[in-house]
Amino acid sequence: MIDWVAFLTVFVASLVAACLAVTLFSLGLRIADGEAAWRRPVSILMFALCAVAVLIGLYLIVGDHLLELVGL
Amino acid sequence: MDPLILVALVIALALFFDFTNGFHDTANAMATPIATGALKPKTAVALAAILNLVGAFLSTEVAKTISGGLIREGDGGIQIGPELILAGLIGAIVWNLVTWLLGLPSSSSHALFGGLIGAAVVGAGFAVIDGGVLASKILIPAVLAPLTAVTVAFLATRIAYSITRKRERNGFKKGQIFTSSLVSLAHGTNDAQKTMGVITLALIAAGFQSPGTGPEFWVIAACAFAIALGTYSGGWRIIRTMGRGITEIEPAQGFAAEASTTATILASTQLGFALSTTQVASGSVIGTGLGRKGASVRWRTAGRIGIGWLITIPASGAIGAVAALLVRLGPGGLIAAVVLAVLAILGIFLWSLTSRVDHRNLNQPEPGVFVRPKKKRKARR
Repeated sequence: MIDWVAFLTVFVASLVAACLAVTLFSLGLRIADGEAAWRRPVSILMFALCAVAVLIGLYLIVGDHLLELVGL
Repeated sequence: MDPLILVALVIALALFFDFTNGFHDTANAMATPIATGALKPKTAVALAAILNLVGAFLSTEVAKTISGGLIREGDGGIQIGPELILAGLIGAIVWNLVTWLLGLPSSSSHALFGGLIGAAVVGAGFAVIDGGVLASKILIPAVLAPLTAVTVAFLATRIAYSITRKRERNGFKKGQIFTSSLVSLAHGTNDAQKTMGVITLALIAAGFQSPGTGPEFWVIAACAFAIALGTYSGGWRIIRTMGRGITEIEPAQGFAAEASTTATILASTQLGFALSTTQVASGSVIGTGLGRKGASVRWRTAGRIGIGWLITIPASGAIGAVAALLVRLGPGGLIAAVVLAVLAILGIFLWSLTSRVDHRNLNQPEPGVFVRPKKKRKARR
């Protein structure tokens, strides 16, 4: 019937991925709000890490299809 | 009836279903960015249409069994002929349009499965349905999908609001563009594929294509453009329900909801536990409404959506079954089924004109929803 292990994996993976992306983006916004010199590079780092998460998502959606199209 | 005419009818209906699938599901990705003002309505649907088009071309894999194993085929069941596919498509299209008219975000895939199940039951009786697969692939995931999304979006929203201050939260609008784009792309790679599968199956069944071969390029192109055109048309009624009907959404909530939808959909497709995009996206909106202090979820609207999910398969199945009964009468019955379907589509379209919803009046409150002004506190004496 139901593959509960697969469901639990999906649940945990979704929870971790979504919370991580939201945490990084929120930290990026929060840290950018201030005058100190260190804030800007750290904020950019947070957004960059979030962009990596988006790129991983993009790879999961189209990666296999692209590799198939180019014959790899 | 000439097999060529029959296949042409199936292709036309399949492409129209693909179109309805597109405009029905625009809301999954674009309702929240439109609601928060991250994207203008027309820009949002244009972006979703382009990403659906790209996604449909990228996806070359065709579902070998369009019914996903729900309908027993071969020795223990029936072979799905073009006539039954046609009847199933009629059920799916009519139900998709009814739910669109009511502004309900229901699953287009479930409508397609329901239509095909209804047609198959008329073709060979209830024994043809695999109850175990129905429960494990559709019924139980239909409960788990929104519950997962509600939990994930609730926590994500709490995190977003606990880290950021009010003046920083408009920044989430930029993030929403990326997360909603991912949902659109994922939709294009999954949903156009189903119609490609239906058309390819009809071509193989009628002997116009060799068994075991993939979709022809013109089938991929036609399906890609049909879903993109449907997406661009924008199912504004459903966008209004998802973006404003369930809860009032702020940019931080929109980002949290879209991130939750994207993460859940990607995890479910990658880890082998398929969940409906529509149900996940609706669950995320409810979760984000619960996650923000001071926000309220309109449970009446959420309940209507839940009822829509419950009756999607029986309702599209019933319409598919009636169409199949007509189709079985012969060429005259088949023509009658198609004519009745066209009349139903026209009727729904004309009915929709009586309360037109589009990108211009998207932000007006739904009829029956009253805006309660805040009570003024009495001045202390």
